[in-house]
Amino acid sequence: MTKASLRKPILAAVLCLTTAAVLSAIPARPEPARLVNDFAGIFSPRQALYIERMLLEFDDSTSNQIAVVTVPDLEGYSASEYATRIGLDWDIGTAENDNGIVVLIKPKTDGSYGDVAISTGYGLEGAIPDVYCKRIIDNEMIPYFAAGDYYSGTVAGCRVLMKLASGEISEPREDRSEFSLFGLLVLFIIFSIIFFAILGRGDRGGKGGRNGGAGGIDADDIMRGIIIGNILGGGRHRGGFGGNSGGFGGGFDGGGFSGGGFGGFGGGDFGGGGASGRW
Amino acid sequence: MKKGLTVLIVLAVIVTGLFFWVKNSYNRLVSGEEQVSAAWAQVENVYQRRADLIPNLVATVKGYAEHESETLESVIAARAKATQVTVNPDQLSDEEIAEFQAAQGELGSALGRLMMITENYPDLKANRNFADLQAQLEGTENRIATERKKYNDTARAYNISVRSFPANIIASIFDFETKGYFKAADGAETAPAVEF
Repeated sequence: MTKASLRKPILAAVLCLTTAAVLSAIPARPEPARLVNDFAGIFSPRQALYIERMLLEFDDSTSNQIAVVTVPDLEGYSASEYATRIGLDWDIGTAENDNGIVVLIKPKTDGSYGDVAISTGYGLEGAIPDVYCKRIIDNEMIPYFAAGDYYSGTVAGCRVLMKLASGEISEPREDRSEFSLFGLLVLFIIFSIIFFAILGRGDRGGKGGRNGGAGGIDADDIMRGIIIGNILGGGRHRGGFGGNSGGFGGGFDGGGFSGGGFGGFGGGDFGGGGASGRW
Repeated sequence: MKKGLTVLIVLAVIVTGLFFWVKNSYNRLVSGEEQVSAAWAQVENVYQRRADLIPNLVATVKGYAEHESETLESVIAARAKATQVTVNPDQLSDEEIAEFQAAQGELGSALGRLMMITENYPDLKANRNFADLQAQLEGTENRIATERKKYNDTARAYNISVRSFPANIIASIFDFETKGYFKAADGAETAPAVEF
């Protein structure tokens, strides 16, 4: 190969690397996947949990995925473009329906405007036209945001989005919720058995005598078993595609999710539809 | 006799292997080229979407800002020019894409000037129809940015497959050529700002 013909592939490789560097400005997909990603820290843990539950339930019942992302800085992108890139990078929505939505919020600070954008997946462009997105932003979200109430604005906006989206695509994820409930039950039973087995042995061996001759298990121990079983079960499940990793840690920080976990984003595509607003 | 048979079998194996290699490389290039064409079709779609919004937009603005006729006419002229520049989807050469991008960029900046002057007309801004058109235009601009990025990504992957060894041998025999890119010059593909 001559020098000249070698140069082109090298140039192409450099171009690829540059693109990768530019793309890395968008936050990486969270592991385990979550629907609420509060990078700017504008929600209290309780509020984030409430929104996550609301969106999770919506995902389970209709397969439409709405991701709420807050960032402290738009990294030089326009709000709409940033929101679309998150949707593309994270594969929000299902591959069959392309039914993801990204709600991006950059809170207002002393030195900068507040920005909000809604980006709709290809499959929802018909159900939620750009004009509707703009009205949701102007009428439902910004009035609250301007008053500093990010939580109420986000919930109000998501409620309207859910109503519009469910009119177009509504496919309950039956298989997943059944699996979750069944899996949770099995895990709960297994962990309970292990826990009681260890507990029983400990009582007989070391401390001795605390429970008298009652056989080593009392109501207090059962409660402890249930709590730990729940934590283990919840943590294991919420991981989605993450599997076992982060089981214990994950179980505590969210205050314990109940019910099925979020199964992860599913390969939805975005074409740049949606709107943005500023206050 | 036996030796001749061995040679024949070896030759047959080589020919069959060669055939499948050529077939696979060729088909991969064809499907790659198809993907690039599809991505380009999407790009043209969203630019057309913007062009389709303009007559309505101009008519609405005209009702409120009649003496801004110069700006309005420049939008109409830029639109006429931009819709005339077409790119041969089989070639997608760098030059043709650059020309297309320049014409569309001119229309983009004419539209930008038009939207700027509308700031001076509170009645127009309060018009519901105008607000809707503005939202559609904004969504369309974001669609353009998205489809351009997708086209560039698809073309880049295809170009790498055309240039890399050994597929480049097949590519040169069957005249598969690399595709052009959109350049990130006119701010449509914003680079992230570095802050300290």
